[in-house]
Amino acid sequence: MGELLRRYWHPVAGAAEFSAQAVKAVRILGEDLALYRDKSGNYGLVDQHCPHRRADMTYGFVEEQGLRCNYHGWLFDHTGRCLHQPFEETRHPAGRFKDKVRIKAYQVQEKAGLVWVYMGPRPAPLLPDWDRYHSRGYKQIAISQIPCNWLQCQENSIDPVHFEWLHDNWSRVLRGAEGPRAPAHQRLGFDEFDYGFVYRRIREDTTERDELWTTGRVCLWPNCLYTGHFEWRVPVDDEHTLSVGWFIDELPGNAPFEQDVIPCWYAPVTDDRRGRWIDSHVMNQDFIAWVGQGVIADRTKEHLGESDRGVILIRKRLLEDMTAVAGGGDPKGTIRDPGANHCVHLPIIGGLNRPAAKDGPRPFPFLAGQPEEITKEFEQAWRDCAAAAAERPATGD
Amino acid sequence: MTETAASHAGTAGEAAEARAYGLTEADLRDWASFSPIEIYWARKHDVTPAAARRWAREGLRVCDTVRAIALGMNPGEPRLWADAGFAPSDAVEAKEMGVPFETAVAWRAAGFIVPDAALLIQDGWTLEEAMDARYAGIADEDR
Repeated sequence: MGELLRRYWHPVAGAAEFSAQAVKAVRILGEDLALYRDKSGNYGLVDQHCPHRRADMTYGFVEEQGLRCNYHGWLFDHTGRCLHQPFEETRHPAGRFKDKVRIKAYQVQEKAGLVWVYMGPRPAPLLPDWDRYHSRGYKQIAISQIPCNWLQCQENSIDPVHFEWLHDNWSRVLRGAEGPRAPAHQRLGFDEFDYGFVYRRIREDTTERDELWTTGRVCLWPNCLYTGHFEWRVPVDDEHTLSVGWFIDELPGNAPFEQDVIPCWYAPVTDDRRGRWIDSHVMNQDFIAWVGQGVIADRTKEHLGESDRGVILIRKRLLEDMTAVAGGGDPKGTIRDPGANHCVHLPIIGGLNRPAAKDGPRPFPFLAGQPEEITKEFEQAWRDCAAAAAERPATGD
Repeated sequence: MTETAASHAGTAGEAAEARAYGLTEADLRDWASFSPIEIYWARKHDVTPAAARRWAREGLRVCDTVRAIALGMNPGEPRLWADAGFAPSDAVEAKEMGVPFETAVAWRAAGFIVPDAALLIQDGWTLEEAMDARYAGIADEDR
C-alpha cells in the first residue's frame, strides 16, 4: 500500500506555519524528515538525519539556499545536493568531498495554503489544481494528529449512513435532545469518475430530485473526502494519521476578497479534563469512530452489510491500484497533462459559488478548538464583505 | 452559458455541474434521468444513451454498466441475480471477480454480501475460515 500512496502528493503542513518557524519535523509514510523553507522561499523535505554524523536536521538553520546542519555546518539544498562542508573545504579545497555526499530529499510544492510533498518515483504527477481552491471565501486549514491507520479514516469518506448515526443521532443524544431521530437513509448509490467516487443518498426527507442524490459527495482518491471542503487522511505511519482539513466559508457580496495568508491551526482531539476524546464537532466525532476501531482495524472481525458497499468498493479499487503500480502503471486519479490541470472540477452540491449564510458568520462546525484570532478574523472578513455588499449590491449570475 | 444546460438540470448547483462537464441542453435532453457525472463517465467509455437506459432498466448505474459491457455481459444477467434477491450490481461484481452464482448464494446465506465475499475469496479465504474469523470468541452454539 505504501508504494501506491507514494504515487500521490500529500499535504503535510500549512504554509502559514513557516512564517513562525523555518524548519519542522514531520513523519510521513513512515519516514522521519525535516521540512523547511529557505530564505529564497524554496521548500525542502530532507532526511531528518544529516548524512555526516546523523545529527537532527530539524535543529539546523536555513540559509539563502537550503538547510545547514547545526552540528558541523554541512549545507544541503532542496534537491539533496551538499553545497558546503566548511572544514572539509578548508583542509581540501580541491577534494570536492561534497560532491560525493547527498541527503535524501523529496519534492515539495505549496498550493492553496498547504505544503505538499511527493515521495514516490519520478517523474512526479502534477499536484492537482482543484477548482474549489479558486472559490471566493474565507479559507483556513486545520490539522489533527489521529492515532490510528489512515485507511479506516478514509473508509469513512464513502460511508453515507454513518452521518445519520455518528453525527445526527449521536449529536442529538449528546445535546440531550428529545424527539424523533434524524431522517433515516433509504437508498445509496455510488459512481466512479476520474478522481474518485461519488456517493449518493436518499433519506426519508429527500428524493431523487435532491442534490444529495443528483450530485452527491466525493470520496477523492486516494485519501480525501470532498464535500465543498477537503479532509485528507495523510498516512504518518501504519499507526498514525494526519487529518488535514481545508475549509472555506462563503462571504457576502461579490467584491474581491483575498487572504494574504491562509491561517493554519492544530486542532486538539482529546478533552484532557475528562480524559476522553472531544465529541462536540463533526470531525471530532469521526475521529472517535476511527480510533475506536483500533490502531489498525481488524477487518477479519467485521460484518459488512449493505451500508458498506462503498467501503468495499474502495478496498477493491485500492487493491487494483496496487497491482497497477506493481506493474509499472499509474494508479487512479493522477494527472500528468498540464493542460488538464487548471481548476479541475469536482462535483459539489450547490455549486462553487454558494451564497454566504444570511444570518451572519456561523461558528466553525467541523473541529473543536478554533483559535480565537481565526474566529475573529473570519467574523471581521464577513462583516467587511457584508458592509461592502450593502454599499454596492451584488451583481452577477 | 452558451447553449444553456440549466433548464434540464434542476437546481443552480445541478446546472453548474452540467456546465462543469461541458454538457449542453441537448446533451441533458438526450441523457434525461442521468446525472452529469454519469453522462460524462458513459461518454468517456463510449456508452450510448440507449445502452445506458437499457442497463438502467435492469438496475445498473452507469459505472456498473461500463464494467458489465467491458466484461461482455448481456442485460439479462443482472436480472437473474436480482430475481434471486441480489443487487443487480452483484452480477457484475461476481462476474468480474470470478464468483459463481452458487458460491455467492452460499456466502450470502452465511451473511456475506457479494462484494465482501468476492474480496475474501480473492484473498484465499474459504467460507469456513471467514466464519471462524468473524465469530472468533463466540461459542459455536451462539453463532
